[in-house]
Amino acid sequence: MTLTAFPPPPPGADHDDLRQEVRAFLAEELADFPPEKRAESWNGFSRDFSRRLAQRGWVGMTFPEEYGGHARSALERYVVSEELLAAGAPVISHWIADRQSGPLILAKGTEDQKHQIVPRIAAGELCFCIGMSEPDSGSDLAATRTLATDVEGGFRVNGTKVWTTYAHVADYMILFCRTGKSEDRHGGMSQFLIDLKATENIQISPIIDLGGEHHFNQVIFDDTFLPSDALLGEKGEGWSQVMSELAFERSGPERFLSSFALIEELIGVLRQDATEAQQAEIGRLSAHLMVLRQMSRSVAGMLNEGKNPALQAAIVKDLGALFEQDIPRLARSLVSRPAVPGGGDSYAAVLAYTALAVPSFSLRGGTREILRGIIARGLGLR
Amino acid sequence: MDSMIHDMAERLFRDHVSHALREDAAAGHCPEALWTRIEEAGLHMALVPEEAGGFGVPAAEALRLVRIAGAHGLPLPLAETLIANAVLARVDLALPGGRLTIAEGAGLRLERRGTAVHASGPLTLVPFARWADRIVTIAALDGADHVLSLPVKDLTVAPAQDLAGMPRDDVKVDLALTEADAAPLPRSLGGMRGLGALVRSLATAGAMETILSMSVEYANDRVQFGRPIGKFQAIQHYLATMAGETAASRTAAEMAADSYDTPAFALTVAAAKIRAGDAAETVGALAHQVHGAIGYTQEHALHHFTKRIWSWRDEFGTELDWTRELGRAALSSPQGTFWHFITDSTAQGTPA
Repeated sequence: MTLTAFPPPPPGADHDDLRQEVRAFLAEELADFPPEKRAESWNGFSRDFSRRLAQRGWVGMTFPEEYGGHARSALERYVVSEELLAAGAPVISHWIADRQSGPLILAKGTEDQKHQIVPRIAAGELCFCIGMSEPDSGSDLAATRTLATDVEGGFRVNGTKVWTTYAHVADYMILFCRTGKSEDRHGGMSQFLIDLKATENIQISPIIDLGGEHHFNQVIFDDTFLPSDALLGEKGEGWSQVMSELAFERSGPERFLSSFALIEELIGVLRQDATEAQQAEIGRLSAHLMVLRQMSRSVAGMLNEGKNPALQAAIVKDLGALFEQDIPRLARSLVSRPAVPGGGDSYAAVLAYTALAVPSFSLRGGTREILRGIIARGLGLR
Repeated sequence: MDSMIHDMAERLFRDHVSHALREDAAAGHCPEALWTRIEEAGLHMALVPEEAGGFGVPAAEALRLVRIAGAHGLPLPLAETLIANAVLARVDLALPGGRLTIAEGAGLRLERRGTAVHASGPLTLVPFARWADRIVTIAALDGADHVLSLPVKDLTVAPAQDLAGMPRDDVKVDLALTEADAAPLPRSLGGMRGLGALVRSLATAGAMETILSMSVEYANDRVQFGRPIGKFQAIQHYLATMAGETAASRTAAEMAADSYDTPAFALTVAAAKIRAGDAAETVGALAHQVHGAIGYTQEHALHHFTKRIWSWRDEFGTELDWTRELGRAALSSPQGTFWHFITDSTAQGTPA
């Protein structure tokens, strides 16, 4: 059964020298970075940090040298990614561009787009956001209504995007919208590369999440003009272009390490003096983490070979979200200390932050229901 | 060569391991004729080095036979014989042929009496003991691990069984060993508990793949409310959950098999056994939910597989044994380095 087969990562995937370099860099960079900031995981934003990371050659690692990249393997990139997440480094400023927008532009973009944009991503200078969901199009992406119509010299866009993470600071957006009508539900969609700082008639307004944080935005396109060279890839091929990004988006270590700051806090509390029951729970947590990591590295190995392991990626994300969402419950079952937002004690503060963050883990990047539907299709049930 | 033995095993089991054969075995009859075919194919020697009579396939490939046997619910000690022969070959003891089994020897007492070594004590829940010619175990003599090859005819065997009706016998040992039956183990392969946990994890992964495909097939065939029940989202999500658990369990077992005979094995096998046990809970429960009442009958084949994965959870270290052991190791990592523990424990081992 191929669906349940996750071949081991290729020999040499550990890249121990690189890992030690990254650890040394992070130990210095994050020496004074407090646990409650680390708890933000990959939602933490720092342009300076992303730039310094890029100076070490650790952004755009897999991009070709011709476009400012470093021609390294997906598994080397994996080592850097997981070390950043385990340390709770503030990475979102470059994360989305490095993970999916850069690879998308490299795969589908024109030479001009590649030369103008990709080297700046690799320099850690550009923050990207993804304009995908709409008020009436969440899990049902094909219900997208935002429409780009052909006009002299380009397109005019009208519509509303929501839940657009970091649109308020991003430099570029990859917009997914309709460009025509089609018999096929998945036809008539396209992607655009939008320079948010240089485009008029785009209104970006905050949507505050239940933790009081401003990550999301609503983005309104009101007769927004895009030049014809903003089109990314083929007109009408947006659906299949988006689908080919998903294996990158869903299989990485950010799909099971989002609560890692709380795991470190929990283990810190238990390390001195754990009962047998507490030891057993940490043993179970360790086993699940070891296995998720192996599955995720397996997918990185498949991506490195140019395969499209979208199904395996859906499995990693589904299992990963269950794992990272369960950490606050586990912490509460082992340690009797209440969650206190911004509390003086780092355990209390990290528990509070993480408890409020976890509901989003099975929503973002494809809901649990969508992922299970994809897996069911892979099993031959649809 | 690798895929040849897998194909051979797959064909052999597909042709000969039927529901009737599994029923018959659960009723206490050893399928002798099938064992003869397994020996003729040489499958029982796959984990032995070439110079000791094996085929020279890599360990992880040889161990894949265990997953295949698990997928067919093979009611014979093939996994046990594979491990027993590998351990005997490691210490240059004779490979006796025939059906062998393995046991944890922690309850055994070894003492020198003149030039002989006397072994005494209980071995509990020994898989297939009454169908085996010899029990291979590891026990301590003068503070060092020794491999023992115990002839079953000289032991007292009290029959007992696991949830699936497979022999799990209580054995009393009280005999003098000659040099031909005992040898010091120079470097631990992980102990019998670890090796047993490895094969149970692999067999669990195989059995769960069969359970998953039986469940998918049933969901596509069974019509209620005018359509196959597999068209209902609730059922689809059960099956998707089963697929995820099965994949995780297989990945974990293969990770342990890949680190067989390396220092990484001690922790990867713990993770494999724990993950298999957790998955057995979910996969077993959901498979029966999908199958409805027919799956709860003796007549339907499902129970041979679900009862096996439930039994295997408790063998060669219960989940509680293994979670405590892995947890103690994790908690002994220095402050702030739990992540290093995870990366080190899943690092690719250097083959010995």
